[in-house]
Amino acid sequence: MSPMKLCVPGDKLCSVEDCIPGTGVYLRHGYIYSSLAGYVLKKNEGEELPVISVVRETEAQLLPDVGAIVTCKVTSINPRFAKVHILYVGSTPLKDRFRGTIRKEDVRATEKDKVETYKSFRPGDIVLAKVISLGDVQSNYLLTTAENELGVVVAHSESGAQMVPISWCEMQCPQTHVKEFRKVARVQPEYLQA
Amino acid sequence: MAGLELLSDQGYRLDGRKATELRKVQARMGVFAQADGSAYLEQGNTKALAVVYGPHEMRGSRSRARHDRAVINCQYSMATFSTAERKRRPHGDRKSTEMSLHLKQTFEAAVMTQLYPRSQIDIYVKILQSDGGNYSVCVNAATLAVIDAGIPMRDYVCACTVGFVDETPLADLCYAEESGGVSSLALALLAPWRTDRSAADGRQAPSGPLRGSDRSCHDSL
Repeated sequence: MSPMKLCVPGDKLCSVEDCIPGTGVYLRHGYIYSSLAGYVLKKNEGEELPVISVVRETEAQLLPDVGAIVTCKVTSINPRFAKVHILYVGSTPLKDRFRGTIRKEDVRATEKDKVETYKSFRPGDIVLAKVISLGDVQSNYLLTTAENELGVVVAHSESGAQMVPISWCEMQCPQTHVKEFRKVARVQPEYLQA
Repeated sequence: MAGLELLSDQGYRLDGRKATELRKVQARMGVFAQADGSAYLEQGNTKALAVVYGPHEMRGSRSRARHDRAVINCQYSMATFSTAERKRRPHGDRKSTEMSLHLKQTFEAAVMTQLYPRSQIDIYVKILQSDGGNYSVCVNAATLAVIDAGIPMRDYVCACTVGFVDETPLADLCYAEESGGVSSLALALLAPWRTDRSAADGRQAPSGPLRGSDRSCHDSL
């Protein structure tokens, strides 16, 4: 790879005919300009044109976007919804916590009206969810766990031990052997670390 | 009469500079580790510190959130020790509110806010020592702080204060010149030597060279 070039916001990098714009750049009048102060990175993705982007050593703040998988922590529950704090977007930790809501009807895909939030989440659980909406004036980010891979990943039992999942709706405490109800996520094998 | 002192016959100003000479600029970025972005800028004796937080979730009234872009919150304040006499009211007075509003308008034009819907970016600038050109130094310091925070901008915003004495423009006024009855203009531009001036914020509509001194506008100090 050729040596990286430094650039500042407003630097004209190239024309839109030579490269496809990536992250950290913007298009104006048929030219690609940098919008960050960092290094210019040109990657050949296999398509006809290379992708040009500007990267910094420290990743800029990422915002949860619609369709992103986020890791959040449940802060309070309510018969109608559960309130969460979004901690990670994908695998990037957020510097600041964003607030989100998982409505009762978004907890699972089937039998939505029979859901009880008390049997799906508890405060303190770590949940994998997907963003369905950025929310409007009144609400926070709206999240859903209505997929097999989404739901509770880490939960502690009432006695304080970390529970082991035994089915999609139950987790068991290894010390007291008490089963508790949760909406459990089926984590893909490649994400599990042995 | 004031013109005689401010610009000598040989073309030297009160501090020995020529008419178009700027003061010495020193800057440092990343001054604070806990803020997302920070910068310290000195232009001659005027010192400013800018700190940027964000983009983060909307604090306070959620009704102010814009659905398609980020809201920029600016606060300009002067330290009580920044002026010759101890400043009674560092923020909340009319001057600070007006400067904060100008800063907000400037950065709303420069920062690519449409990348961060429903979030907020806070820019705080504090003048530690005031020796003229406060607004310009603030804009420059805030630009560096926004760049340090990694928030995408169209271009960097540069600002300078220009005064007019005896048909001669003086660049980068110091306090003695500003209060010496010179008509002045503070101008913030998006790097005009590269792009067209798509966003300009000045006390007067700027374009090209300055007009005559009868179109003066006092930088209220």
